[in-house]
Amino acid sequence: MTAMHEVPGSALPGATAIETSGLSKRYGKVTALNDCTVSVPQGRICALIGPNGAGKTTLLRLLAGLARPTAGQVTVNGTTPRQDPAFLADIGFLAQGIPLYRRLSAEDHIRAGAHLNPRWDAESVRERLTALKIPLDRAVGKLSGGQRAQVALALILAKQPRLLLLDEPVAALDPLARRNFLGLLADGVAAGGLTVVLSSHLVADLERVCDHLIMLASARVQLCGDIEELLAEHQLLTGPRKDTTAIEQSQRVVQVTRTPRQTTLLVRLNGPVIDPAFQASDVSLEELVLAYMGEDAPPAIANLSTVGEEK
Amino acid sequence: MTWLVWRQHRVQLYLGAALLAAFAVLIVITGIQVGNQYHAAQAACAAGHGCRQLGGLFLGSHAVGFLIISTLGAPVLVGLFVGAPLVAAEAEAGTTQFAWMQSVTRKRWLTVKIGWMLLAAAIWGGVISALVTWWEGPNNAVQLDAFDPGRFDIMGIVPVAYSLFAVALGIAAGTLLRRVLPAIAVTLAGFIAVRAVVALWLRQHYMSPVTVFYNVTSGFTPPGSYWQLAQGGLGPNGQQLAQPNNTPYIDGVPAIYLPASCRQVSRGAFTPPPSCTQALSHFRAYLTYQPADRYWTFQGIETGIFLFLAAVLIAVAAVTLLRRDA
Repeated sequence: MTAMHEVPGSALPGATAIETSGLSKRYGKVTALNDCTVSVPQGRICALIGPNGAGKTTLLRLLAGLARPTAGQVTVNGTTPRQDPAFLADIGFLAQGIPLYRRLSAEDHIRAGAHLNPRWDAESVRERLTALKIPLDRAVGKLSGGQRAQVALALILAKQPRLLLLDEPVAALDPLARRNFLGLLADGVAAGGLTVVLSSHLVADLERVCDHLIMLASARVQLCGDIEELLAEHQLLTGPRKDTTAIEQSQRVVQVTRTPRQTTLLVRLNGPVIDPAFQASDVSLEELVLAYMGEDAPPAIANLSTVGEEK
Repeated sequence: MTWLVWRQHRVQLYLGAALLAAFAVLIVITGIQVGNQYHAAQAACAAGHGCRQLGGLFLGSHAVGFLIISTLGAPVLVGLFVGAPLVAAEAEAGTTQFAWMQSVTRKRWLTVKIGWMLLAAAIWGGVISALVTWWEGPNNAVQLDAFDPGRFDIMGIVPVAYSLFAVALGIAAGTLLRRVLPAIAVTLAGFIAVRAVVALWLRQHYMSPVTVFYNVTSGFTPPGSYWQLAQGGLGPNGQQLAQPNNTPYIDGVPAIYLPASCRQVSRGAFTPPPSCTQALSHFRAYLTYQPADRYWTFQGIETGIFLFLAAVLIAVAAVTLLRRDA
């Protein structure tokens, strides 16, 4: 059972689903996103990671066309996001608060979707919610947070978009439901014609399904690329507590951790590490993410109160 | 989009329709009684059994009369409960992010929603006004007060324009403020302010009023339901007469300006002595008014003003919503 089908005119090999260059968004004096240049090929599941207020929601809203950039370009599915039924039909965006009409039932939402979209797989939503034992006829506001999230996710899949933008979609789900949903996304992407960007704090979940990463901190892009390539480009160097100037000159040091006895460096490799005192090991996605958050920790923390979680 | 609008607002629609139906039943039943009363009084007058009671006749019950007067407030209700929440409630709950991520542009979303709400407001104002106008027909014929402030405002076509203005004001306030309660407050205050300014100050200037000078002894009453704006007396030298409250009036002239022969008999029905009549003939009076035949012109002008304001407010709401980030 899957909600996704091949969409005509999609999935040119090597085509990009998302392309931004110098993308910036300011709200008054607050810069929510600054000079953001990222690219996500079609058919990927892209993790969007960053501390609170890093600009994740802003980026997703710019991609969906719900906000307009202050500067820079954004291309989604080959066009600039715009108010046009054809563009909107190809985008599925689920905002953080899981916006649904609280007094309307899931069935009402299904029927509304059928009236508002050129493609609409109503049966898939009913099947999915019935399987999850979620009543179709009860007002959505009376469902639990997790059930509401399931309704919203099922609805967004019924639209059969080419690009799915999910802002913290699994936060309200229990671990099993989370795993099921992420599996469903992976199936959909495997079936072709779908690209997914999802933001989350749960790196372990993302690691399981995502093959692409955009990492934001302090409104700037820290990392963007294929996860395997990014992991291969970084290494953890462990060695005695000593002067690391030589390494810092030849490699890009992301993070240094010093204890009285040893030094640990997370570096982005420019070439082989020649210092024999240091032992190189692979990094995990979590270590990588935390290192980049740590690199930027002071400004990120300083900005937390002002940047805030964008609306 | 229409289906979603219907689904979102059907409870309001049922409620509004039920209120209108209840009002209609009450008005039709009592209206028939009022009509019968009126025709009976007319027949009595024609048969020579005294027409004086016709002039002072109050038709219908006081309770229904009060309800009729309170329809002054009917138009603002659609502004408060339909207009103000239309965009604000969705912005507040975040459901715009559901609606705008379906394959529907914001422009279409807004156009369809506003279109149906304007239609609903026009029907609301129109039905109420039609019922009130019909019910008040005999009263207007008796009292000749259809043009007076407060009566003019609940009959004819202006209630339709007021309703459209109220709903547009609510939509604009809700779009700008994005919060339901502040939008309701602004709509209420704005509606009352604009209506008051237009009714109390602007309306009398739509056309230059007519002023007629006449001898107080002959008197003067314009035909039909005219709207009296000012009235006063002029003394033998053409001077404006003060109009004190603490003195009796004879033919509209304060008794203090008149000889004692007038004052002695100033109470009750009387025939003034020749000296008093002689004195009165030097006084003149004036009446400034809008003639009854301008009634529909005034209704049209006032309707135009409120339709224009409604259009401006809708434009403000649309431009704000389409320019702003979602």
